[in-house]
Amino acid sequence: MCVLCGQDFVAQAHWTDRHVEDRARASGPGSDPVEYQRDRRRDRAHRAVLTNEVLRHYGLRVEDWSGSKYVLRDRKGRSELIQDLGSLWPAAAKLAGRTPDPLDPTLCEALAAAHDG
Amino acid sequence: MTDRDVEYRDTRRPVTVVTGFLGSGKTTLLARVLSEPSMANTAVLVNEFGEVGLDHHLLRRVDERTVLLGSGCVCCTTREDLVGALKELLDMDQKGEIPRLDRVVIETTGLADPAPILHTIYTDPVLQHHFSVDLVLTTVDAVNGALHLDRNAESVKQVAAADKVVVTKTDIAEPGVARGLLSRLGTINPSARIFEAAFGEVDVAELFRADGAGSHTPTLPAEAGDPHDVGDTYSVSVTFDGAIDWTAFGIWFSMLLNARGEDVLRVKGLLDVGEAGPVVLNGVQHIIHPPEHLGEWPDEDRRSRIIFITKRIHPEELLDSLEAFGELLGARPVPLGTDHSVSLP
Repeated sequence: MCVLCGQDFVAQAHWTDRHVEDRARASGPGSDPVEYQRDRRRDRAHRAVLTNEVLRHYGLRVEDWSGSKYVLRDRKGRSELIQDLGSLWPAAAKLAGRTPDPLDPTLCEALAAAHDG
Repeated sequence: MTDRDVEYRDTRRPVTVVTGFLGSGKTTLLARVLSEPSMANTAVLVNEFGEVGLDHHLLRRVDERTVLLGSGCVCCTTREDLVGALKELLDMDQKGEIPRLDRVVIETTGLADPAPILHTIYTDPVLQHHFSVDLVLTTVDAVNGALHLDRNAESVKQVAAADKVVVTKTDIAEPGVARGLLSRLGTINPSARIFEAAFGEVDVAELFRADGAGSHTPTLPAEAGDPHDVGDTYSVSVTFDGAIDWTAFGIWFSMLLNARGEDVLRVKGLLDVGEAGPVVLNGVQHIIHPPEHLGEWPDEDRRSRIIFITKRIHPEELLDSLEAFGELLGARPVPLGTDHSVSLP
């Protein structure tokens, strides 16, 4: 999976998604599959919350879509279905009309102000 | 033994990428390395048969065939030739036609960017389960190295991507020139170990010791800290004042790679994510090695330590951005070096 072009060739875990799978593997073959699913859902929900803190500054919002994908929406009702963080940013750039850049001083100020206020 | 004691073992075959500018001594180094009895079960993939003949029973020639994906960047390309050659080796290994394959060495052409090789191995649906890049070796010629670094962006990229740099031809270079080059290499990539190889002689066991890409203990600069810059290439080492949220770091870093990936030449480090052990992070441009979550810390120092090598991105910009994301990350960045109590391996 290329983080730049966001193409999904085969079902492949993005590097940011691997830890849940690794944790399940580390706990051995006898591990509880229900616990794994719970861990995975918790992780996805947490990711959506944190990502929305950033996307807010671009007028976007992401939601978990039945535990398999995420839906990215803008305020005009346009949406994009995305697989992971690798495909999120190119989709966000498309909807927002500019590439979200963590080095952008305006974004940094907005994030800092959001937490100070 | 209970089920929980069954450990997940990594059975992937290690792949070493040998890169370096034209005439920098890649093949001489390989010839020396392959003469070691311990390297007998190593397969070698080369792009061209150079002037220095390689005599090895598992030598294969591959023609660089790059498939550029529509809208893709250069580093996220697939090397079709490598896919074919590596699958063929895997077939032969699994059928027992060759002795057990201990390692594959891929020699790139002088101008090659190593990132597509890493991309190919980590994204191919078959290869990713059977091979893992454990080491990127870059050769730099002590006589002409400085000139290549001045004139060719590829040369700087190769040094930035390296886990270990071998400076060759130190026997024929002026001592002053070699010293200047060594210090410059250390400045471009403070995380790489530098070896000197006069007459192609190098400690093979040390060179191939598994502390490279899949390393548990990334080497960080001995005199870490002050942001370095070489032209428009910068490097900076950072730690955090506490454990960071791995999910938040993933958001920040994937966003940075999407916006400025081609300017992030290298990232390497250990991150304290509030678990028993750290996460090993290692990336070359857009290509991130699958991050490994370790069960324990490799040494006493339990702080995050991460080094960024960038082009055109000033260390201050990275630090300001990490500071702004501090609330999400759950910790504030601290440039290493301002705090001298941080011990480095």
